[in-house]
Amino acid sequence: MNQTLDEYTEAEVQRLLTEHPSLGEQGITLTRREHCLTLTGEVESAERRDEIVRLVNEALPDVDLCWDIGIIRAGAPTEHEELT
Amino acid sequence: MIRVAAVGDVHVDADVVGRYRPALEQLGDCADVLLLAGDLTRHGTVAEAKCVATEFGGLPVPVVAVLGNHDYHSDQPAEVTAVLEDAGITVLECSGTVLTVGGTRLGIAGAKGFGGGFAGRCASDFGEPETKAFIRTTQRIAECLGTTLRSLECDVLVALTHYAPVPDTLAGEPLEIYPFLGSYLLGQAIDSAPTALAVHGHAHAGTERGITPGGVRVRNVAHPVIKQAYSVFHLGEQLETKALSATGSAR
Repeated sequence: MNQTLDEYTEAEVQRLLTEHPSLGEQGITLTRREHCLTLTGEVESAERRDEIVRLVNEALPDVDLCWDIGIIRAGAPTEHEELT
Repeated sequence: MIRVAAVGDVHVDADVVGRYRPALEQLGDCADVLLLAGDLTRHGTVAEAKCVATEFGGLPVPVVAVLGNHDYHSDQPAEVTAVLEDAGITVLECSGTVLTVGGTRLGIAGAKGFGGGFAGRCASDFGEPETKAFIRTTQRIAECLGTTLRSLECDVLVALTHYAPVPDTLAGEPLEIYPFLGSYLLGQAIDSAPTALAVHGHAHAGTERGITPGGVRVRNVAHPVIKQAYSVFHLGEQLETKALSATGSAR
């Protein structure tokens, strides 16, 4: 990791994910660690996850990136809630 | 009993089409209506709205929606609404609808809502024009939501918003962004009518359950929160109470 990871970088990435025309993603958490930047969260599709990782890698080419971004389950519910 | 299915923040684009459909095809077996609590698209484009229409149109139950902040991003809420309505989805904004389910009238009042924060930590109609415009937007929406809720003639009343009416369902979100996630004014509007359930989205890192100061159950159905295609709520006690009341009146 050569590039400095500071609060400004974190804010820059957060805004990139939100404002990029292909994403509009606000559900990713960034964590600055000693040796890398970690992206965590859940998104609606594998394509979206891959695009997030691609864009951040592109924006911060000298930063080691770790990510654990899941795809939100979209199955039918198995239970209902009684509101009594 | 009325069975209400609900989900929000599905953020549909071409990459998502088909993901919800298998679960949605089962809706007729478990629900009488599906509520969509906003952020149906990613950027509020017509193309994305068509994807929403493909995914949520033609279902075996009526679909009632409000838009969310993402659905306004391209400044085309009217066009997005038109696409959804062409697919048979009822889109509410400071308006309501009444569905008859097995002889029971289900009233749904809907509005996107807006931010402003919650009691003790809320924005006020004071200071710069931008600040005043922000809170006046919320006030206007909350007032019309309350008016709509109080005006619907129905047996069971549900409020549908994108923004949160209580802080309870925001637990898990950073405190710093609460003012951008909802407003107590929405809760006050919901409490001004005999609302049985309030459903919202928007808070992806929030929690499912909350309650207004007036005792109305609030459910955050943002997809990242419920982690399933939709949640289903059975509203029954209100009807039983009403039936008992009717019986009492007859005597």
